[in-house]
Amino acid sequence: MMNWQVKVVLALVAIVVGGWFVYEIRGILTPFVLAFILAYVLYPIIDWMERRGLGRAWSTLLVFSLVFAGLGLGVFKAGDKLAGEMVDRVFTIANTGDKPLIIHGMAWEDDARDQPFVLREEHRWPLEIAPMEELAVPLRFVPKDQAPAANALLIAYSQGQDEHSQRISVHGNGGVVAGSQAVGNPGFIAFSRTDIGFGEADPNVLVEIGDRILAEASTRAAKIEPMLQPYLGSDFRLAELIREHGERLMRTMLGGTTLFIEGVISGLTFVVIVPFVAFFFLKEGRRLTRCLMALVPNAYFELCLNLMYQANRQIGNYIRGQLLAVLVVSVLAISGLSILGVYYALPLGLLAGLANVIPFLGPLIGIVCSSIVALATGGGLAMVAKVIVMFLVIQLIDNVLIQPTMVAKSVELHPLVVLFVVMVGSQLMGIVGMLIAVPLTGIAKVSGQTIYEGVKQYRLR
Amino acid sequence: MPSDPLWRHVFRRLQERVRSGRKEEETAACKLLQKVPIFQELSGRELHKIEEMLYGPRDWRAGEAIINQGDPGMGMYIVASGQIRIVQMGDDGFEKQLATLTRGNFFGAQALVDQSPRPASAYALQPCSLLVFCRPDLLELIDTNLPLALKIVEGLAQAISTDLLEVIEKLSAQLRDSERLLKGARRAGSIQ
Repeated sequence: MMNWQVKVVLALVAIVVGGWFVYEIRGILTPFVLAFILAYVLYPIIDWMERRGLGRAWSTLLVFSLVFAGLGLGVFKAGDKLAGEMVDRVFTIANTGDKPLIIHGMAWEDDARDQPFVLREEHRWPLEIAPMEELAVPLRFVPKDQAPAANALLIAYSQGQDEHSQRISVHGNGGVVAGSQAVGNPGFIAFSRTDIGFGEADPNVLVEIGDRILAEASTRAAKIEPMLQPYLGSDFRLAELIREHGERLMRTMLGGTTLFIEGVISGLTFVVIVPFVAFFFLKEGRRLTRCLMALVPNAYFELCLNLMYQANRQIGNYIRGQLLAVLVVSVLAISGLSILGVYYALPLGLLAGLANVIPFLGPLIGIVCSSIVALATGGGLAMVAKVIVMFLVIQLIDNVLIQPTMVAKSVELHPLVVLFVVMVGSQLMGIVGMLIAVPLTGIAKVSGQTIYEGVKQYRLR
Repeated sequence: MPSDPLWRHVFRRLQERVRSGRKEEETAACKLLQKVPIFQELSGRELHKIEEMLYGPRDWRAGEAIINQGDPGMGMYIVASGQIRIVQMGDDGFEKQLATLTRGNFFGAQALVDQSPRPASAYALQPCSLLVFCRPDLLELIDTNLPLALKIVEGLAQAISTDLLEVIEKLSAQLRDSERLLKGARRAGSIQ
């Protein structure tokens, strides 16, 4: 027989190795976690249908067909909309000669602040392209409205003594194509295209808001810079710092999210694996638990049985409670914002509802985002005040009516814990990580509590 | 369907085996369930449904504890094979053997009613095999299939009332005995 210290060490090693393994495969786990959550959400519906005399397999099949027809339609519509809101194009400049090519700069012909075309990468001019090398220039079309738009990118370059320029015309939403011709034909430079059409696109709220915040913050910073420079040295550039780090932060957050969304939605994972796994969780759940219980040693059989049922019930209640709360808060926020006349009421309300899962910080996210959009779409301070009052009322309803009835008291998390797990979540998976960190911690806490309480009742042998 | 006679033969054999295997398993568990008073009123179809909800058959070695007095009860056990000893630890610290159970007997049915502590322990006398029916599954059945659940609850109530009647009979017999002893002692003049 092993003595207990060895057992404890082995158990710890197993936990660490298991944790590391789960961390390593977290990308693959996402559809399974989603399927798990989905199964918990659909379970009561299928139970209800079974009570009405429909077989379990048929109920499951029916619910799945309905839910996924709806989800598929939603994803298709949303994807269509998202694709329409942001359009990226890339063109390349190739040095076909045998001498280095110098790009002196790129500028928009019409450089008004609100023109919708954006150079996605900033370069330090002049930029040298070695012989037979090329430079990819990504452009983005972010329209503020659906009006036709056209502009042109002017590129100044030279090889040797002569300086030339090239005009790349861009247009979107049916803007008129301005004529574009290479000035001269030096024979040492090639543009992949000189005329870029971005097609039709709707305004994109995310990019627009992000850009506005960054621009605002760095202008403010530029104003207070002279006041700070005497203390911090003359090479301290706050505005640049904010622009640089803000951009990196946004890219990390949005990038992480995009990565996650890609991992989930891209290709077949979402469409095939999640429903497939959830279907089997629901249909074969009973057999699955019986197979698992067959592995448990006799001495711990009743204990494990008890824990399994209790954890199952608690987790189910927690997930369903949270989802109901999200639904109610979302509906309240969407209706409130629509009544107030704030643009993008639907995505903002959904965001507020989802963010509400995060205690303390969540409501702030809803208020801040909605206020920014209200300001950015020309609402003024009065509108912001109304938005804040509306969210305060929703918070009141949430705290007095929704949380006490729908979300179990036992899963209250300490504010510090919430802060910590939200930060860990954002580090690992961006915004989505922030949103799922608290529910996952809640589930872990519920399971831990149940196991602890259960183990205490039995004399362990 | 494959047209090759060899493959057709193989498939047919496979099908037969699967069918007969399933049937045998079903009848074994269902036959056992039919012997349990709680499930006596159930039709074949309903028995099959209950069979799907059971844990096991689980095997215990001789001498191993199955349930322990004082633990919260999770469900009832049905003996498929082997011998079980039911033992109660008295307040005086001595173990008292309550019963010996064999195939078709069951124990721990109170746990289907509530999660009160087990009143006695059960040990395997020989290597034995048991089926387990859990309280959460009965509760689920109440949610999803009330008529079936009612039949089981009725059986359960009958089983418990039978137990209760037995206990009352035993108690009154003991009471009679002690009264008789008391009378005898009074007559002998040792007690006032």
